[in-house]
Amino acid sequence: MTAMVERAIVGSLAPIGRTLEAVSRHAGQLWLLLSRVALATARGRIALRDVMVQLHAIGVESVPLVCVTAVLSGVVTSQQGGYQFTGSVPLYVLGSVVTASIVLELGPVMTAVVLIGRVGARITAELGTMKVSEQIDALHALGRDPVAVLAGPRMLAGVIAMPLLVGLADCVGIYAGMLAARVSVGLGTDSFFYGARVFWHSWDLLYSITKGVVFGFLIPFISVHMGLETRGGAEGVGRSTTSAVVLMILSVLLMDATFPPLFLE
Amino acid sequence: MIEYVGIHKSFDIPVLQGVDLDVATGEMLSIVGPSGTGKSVLLKTTNGLLEPDRGDVRVDGESVFASDAARERIRRKVGYVFQYAALFDSMSVYENVRAGLPGHQARFDSRDVVHQVCAALEDVNLDPQLVLEKLPSELSGGMRKRVGVARAIVGRPEILLYDEPVTGLDPVNSAAVSRLIVEIRERTGVTSILVTHDVEQALEISDRVALLEGGRLRFVGSPNEFRASDDPVVRAFADRRAAAEAALGVDVDGKQGKGEKP
Repeated sequence: MTAMVERAIVGSLAPIGRTLEAVSRHAGQLWLLLSRVALATARGRIALRDVMVQLHAIGVESVPLVCVTAVLSGVVTSQQGGYQFTGSVPLYVLGSVVTASIVLELGPVMTAVVLIGRVGARITAELGTMKVSEQIDALHALGRDPVAVLAGPRMLAGVIAMPLLVGLADCVGIYAGMLAARVSVGLGTDSFFYGARVFWHSWDLLYSITKGVVFGFLIPFISVHMGLETRGGAEGVGRSTTSAVVLMILSVLLMDATFPPLFLE
Repeated sequence: MIEYVGIHKSFDIPVLQGVDLDVATGEMLSIVGPSGTGKSVLLKTTNGLLEPDRGDVRVDGESVFASDAARERIRRKVGYVFQYAALFDSMSVYENVRAGLPGHQARFDSRDVVHQVCAALEDVNLDPQLVLEKLPSELSGGMRKRVGVARAIVGRPEILLYDEPVTGLDPVNSAAVSRLIVEIRERTGVTSILVTHDVEQALEISDRVALLEGGRLRFVGSPNEFRASDDPVVRAFADRRAAAEAALGVDVDGKQGKGEKP
């Protein structure tokens, strides 16, 4: 009887222990990766050419999808606001609602979601495949540091490209929202921007761009880590990529939730 | 001179359990043994791709694990041929081989760099004009292996490590890679360690053969001593090929061409 109770207790505690062990291991490895990237950057071991290649892959190639997402975000926000405000609130307020929604929230978050799907998943799958096919070992054997060659350029490019993409998404989203407001509720451009100016704080743009920097760091950081920790062939690559996407979405949403109490109060 | 001193390594279960082995300069040593006995693990400790739990590896008297700088110095002396070549998928054959050159040469083109890459490809019997711009995915298995060898030798290493260089190759390509290993060794005098399942290949081309079994060295000696050994494990392993042929009623090299790509 006692043995059964012991087994039941151990059985119920084991998953918690395994989870804690996995979280601690990942936290340690993330810290190590961050330190090594910082060291490689400080020592100038990250080639500018590699960063430029990644800037193109992460930044330039994401522009079309970021624009489409921003247009849809602006249009939906504008139409929904117009539906709610018509007959109850002065319509120029719509300009403020659309602008604030896009700049403070939708611009950075939707751009992050696009980058998670388009860039984060690709980085994890790419590095994961390199890991399981011994290409990472080959880099080591050739005296190349995978952190300087693979991780550093992707992380630097993410931090540089993401705020620029967020700025672009903000502009495109507001413009699309303005056009949608004109079409759906007949709000003129002057009235839209009057409303936008009434409740505008110049800090809002910095807030948006800061989110971009943070998300631009998180996405390649997590995806690189998960890629380099991949084990176990094609199945392992699939598992790593799925875990990385889940982790990136959760991290971005969690960071997003910490921004208002930290910076908007 | 490479010295393995009391190497222990575990991955949840013990893999290497106290391996002591010396490899002389210019020697060709083959490590054979059943799957999962730690042959590749031992090889990967040579240039610090894996760090033993206990023990040390010394190359020319310097410990691989003494410092990052020591490991980098030793890696510059060592060329490594991976089991499945481990070519960089997104790079052309030229870029892959160029990556084997030391320092800035690995990243920038010059007439000298192109010449060295072409020479390395010719050394492995590949026509640079035909393969230089190809991606690894456009090459056959045998050609990928040879590009892997070219990448390992282009930097003129003092030591060459081959991890299962003929695995997955048909008999013709397998024999060609074996010949290549011998040619490189004869031409450059490079110290070579070869991990292989193919006992025949090991006995034909090596100065000494080491049999790893259960994480320990069971036998180290010349091919003739290996063939003449009374040790039942060595005998079983040496006779495996003949036994397999007898049991299957076929040539295990697949010389009949069954299921093999030409």
